[in-house]
Amino acid sequence: MSARLLLGRLAAAVPLLLGISLILFAVVHLAPGGPLDVYADNPSVTPAALERLAEAYGLKEPLPVQYAMWLKATVAGDWGYSIRTGRPVLTEVAERLGPTLMLAGAAAALAFVLAVALGTLAAARAGRWVDRVIDALTLGGLSLPSFWLALVLQYAFAVRLGWLPSAGMETIGASSFGDRLAHLALPATVLAIVNAASWTRYIRAGMIDVLSRDYIRTAYAKGMSERTVLLRHGLRNAIVPAISVIALDLAGLVSGAVITEAVFAWPGIGSLFVQSMDGRDYPVLMGVLLMGSAAVVLANIMADLVQAVLDPRLRDG
Amino acid sequence: MGGRADPACWSRRALLAGIGGTGALALTGCGPARRGRDNTLVVGLTYDLDTLNVYSTGFLGDVEAAVVEGLLAPDEHARYVPVLATEVPTLANGGIQLTDGGKGMTITYKLRPGVLWHDGQPFTSADVEFTWRAVKNPAFIAESKDGTDEIVAIETPDPLTVICRYGRVSPTFATTLFTFGILPRHLLEGVDLNTAPYNERPIGTGPFRVTAFKRGQYVLTERFPNYWRRDASGRRLPYLDRLIFKIIPNSNTLMTQIRSGELDLVTQTPYDQAKQMRGMPGVELLRAPLLSWQHLDFNMRNPLLADRRLRLAIAHAIDREPLVRAQGGFPIPIQSPVVPVFDFFDPSVRAPAFDPATARRLLDEAGFRPGSDGVRQRGADRLAFRFLVQSGKGNDELAQQVIIAQLKAIGIDAFADNRTGVAYRQARYTGQYDLNYANWVTGADPIYSRFYATKGSNNGQKYSNPALDRILQAMEGTLDPAERRCQGFAMQRILLHDLPSIPITSNVAVVTKRAGLAGFTPNPTNMTPFVGCAFWRWQA
Repeated sequence: MSARLLLGRLAAAVPLLLGISLILFAVVHLAPGGPLDVYADNPSVTPAALERLAEAYGLKEPLPVQYAMWLKATVAGDWGYSIRTGRPVLTEVAERLGPTLMLAGAAAALAFVLAVALGTLAAARAGRWVDRVIDALTLGGLSLPSFWLALVLQYAFAVRLGWLPSAGMETIGASSFGDRLAHLALPATVLAIVNAASWTRYIRAGMIDVLSRDYIRTAYAKGMSERTVLLRHGLRNAIVPAISVIALDLAGLVSGAVITEAVFAWPGIGSLFVQSMDGRDYPVLMGVLLMGSAAVVLANIMADLVQAVLDPRLRDG
Repeated sequence: MGGRADPACWSRRALLAGIGGTGALALTGCGPARRGRDNTLVVGLTYDLDTLNVYSTGFLGDVEAAVVEGLLAPDEHARYVPVLATEVPTLANGGIQLTDGGKGMTITYKLRPGVLWHDGQPFTSADVEFTWRAVKNPAFIAESKDGTDEIVAIETPDPLTVICRYGRVSPTFATTLFTFGILPRHLLEGVDLNTAPYNERPIGTGPFRVTAFKRGQYVLTERFPNYWRRDASGRRLPYLDRLIFKIIPNSNTLMTQIRSGELDLVTQTPYDQAKQMRGMPGVELLRAPLLSWQHLDFNMRNPLLADRRLRLAIAHAIDREPLVRAQGGFPIPIQSPVVPVFDFFDPSVRAPAFDPATARRLLDEAGFRPGSDGVRQRGADRLAFRFLVQSGKGNDELAQQVIIAQLKAIGIDAFADNRTGVAYRQARYTGQYDLNYANWVTGADPIYSRFYATKGSNNGQKYSNPALDRILQAMEGTLDPAERRCQGFAMQRILLHDLPSIPITSNVAVVTKRAGLAGFTPNPTNMTPFVGCAFWRWQA
């Protein structure tokens, strides 16, 4: 992909994000409820006080005006203030990004290694019992609800065995690298299993496709070892189509694994999203959603780039 | 009192005994050991903290109650006790004086000497005066500014005396403002309270000081070594060295952490989770009353429901026992809208008893006969009612289903018409419903005119009884506790005769705590049990 094309793709992303922001804004604001709902049951917050609060948060303006104000400020780099906490949205999002990236990175790495190993093995032994076992495992991984898997792992490793902490990111007041890893183990495993299952299937399918090609037969005929054929000639080609799927999943991981983060009390973007949704914290919701959308758009562009790097035929397309 | 007693039999005395700290439902052997902690208590919070400023948080101030103190605080019986003041001002002790021939009043607080802020500065009357100004400031976005407008002026003749001049007689003066907490003037004067760093690291005079607040994770607090309060033997409080608040919004994980020994205390356990914790070794479940009750309200704009016979029939159709059972057995059936914690609760009042035969007879007498579909009607009037509940409130929706079935049994068709948030609120106040099952939460000084006076700000039912209006006015305008109690009794008699609202159950906070934690006292008020955390300790 040439630099010109890359710039073109980036430029096209701008109107796309603008359109997405308009839809998100509409959906978020048209959903029933509002930031002042928490006071619905509270008789000490009088209707007059609610009016005052609605005024203070700019909720009394018509929606198009609210959108215009939000867009103008956001483009200028001012993402507004959280209604729940009174803190800048950028600060809120930024401080949740680290934990999410840590969790997503660990899960993605683990899932990638698992998927490549299992996918390659399954393809190399297609139709035999190893393949069937891996098939059953991936089917299991895909069908398991992540919250259930999380509960089972918590029960086994935190309650019964007592080896790992059940939730949180660190031992309060006694955090170390090892402690972080221990806290990361369960949520990263849950996320990895779900993603590894689907990636394994893509890699297996890609590999089977590639392994039927003439050049693979040629490679075997030249007397290359199976290992070399599979890894150098097979995997490198099979992984290209899987990359776009993986890239999109990565974008999903970065915008917060909502359920996994909630179950493991992981202080990432996913948890922030759930709390902001509960409290209808519009400015934070918009920040999180827009960042998630940008991640997906960017991931698509990145996937194209990576494919181009891996596959010379796509380089000057 | 037996923890296994049938919930329906819980009397007021039994309740109060329960509050006194003996109401353990389960106490057995030793369970999972607490994991490697000395003299530290780890508390699970079911919500993510928004801010640690007591005046702007949308939640109850669990953390704040351990850090920030007010002049007074409600105790486990919802009675005010002095904290930073040396006594609760009353007419009898001269702390309250009527002015303008009884139209206004002056309240004088004597402050406790030798109290220090967490940064070592002395606490004085200037801080109290500043708190009033800061909360009143229109630029400050507070959840509640209640009580600020009633005060006309505050004088501070010396560092330990505060004189508040009120423009009117306000018997509920203790509910808000200075009870919530005092703000440190030396740190906040001239600072924008909406964005102040104070909101993350509050400086108070309380037993614990905040040493770290990680958003979405935890608040770490440490024992304040210069805390003013001492126990009966003269030992400086608090007993605990550290109080850690972990933010765990997922209720399954919350209970997993109790099981694994990573958590010691959850003060608001969801009913469905609490059920699973019954009989768990080393863990106690306490059922602590709250100043909150569930009620079935009638929309009095509906001409059918304006007929008292119909409301009475519906009241007779309601059986509280299955309603309690549907909610894990935790709520407490009630007979009066006054939660049985208050001294003006009248134990002799009774809501109409469960008696479907009487209910049917009343409907017959009113001329409503069962139609072909079993729903009663009288000419064109059919007993079919829109039944409003706030969507997403699981327990309310459960109760709604039970009530629908109970009304069906007497020939009334109530159909769910549930709404969320603002739409719910709007329906409730503009009368787009016939029946509404909901709860009210009050402070330690409930103002019932909000709900039941003709012009009450929360009276969305259009209920009006001039006789009750007069009683409420008298009840809420007097500083004399005996008079208040007398008017309170009268209020309950009228409400249970008119039946604009059927009191159903009182809500409870289910406390899950490790059995070794001693000195824990539930608190039914919005000040939360953490108001007493200085006295909590681990038993050997």
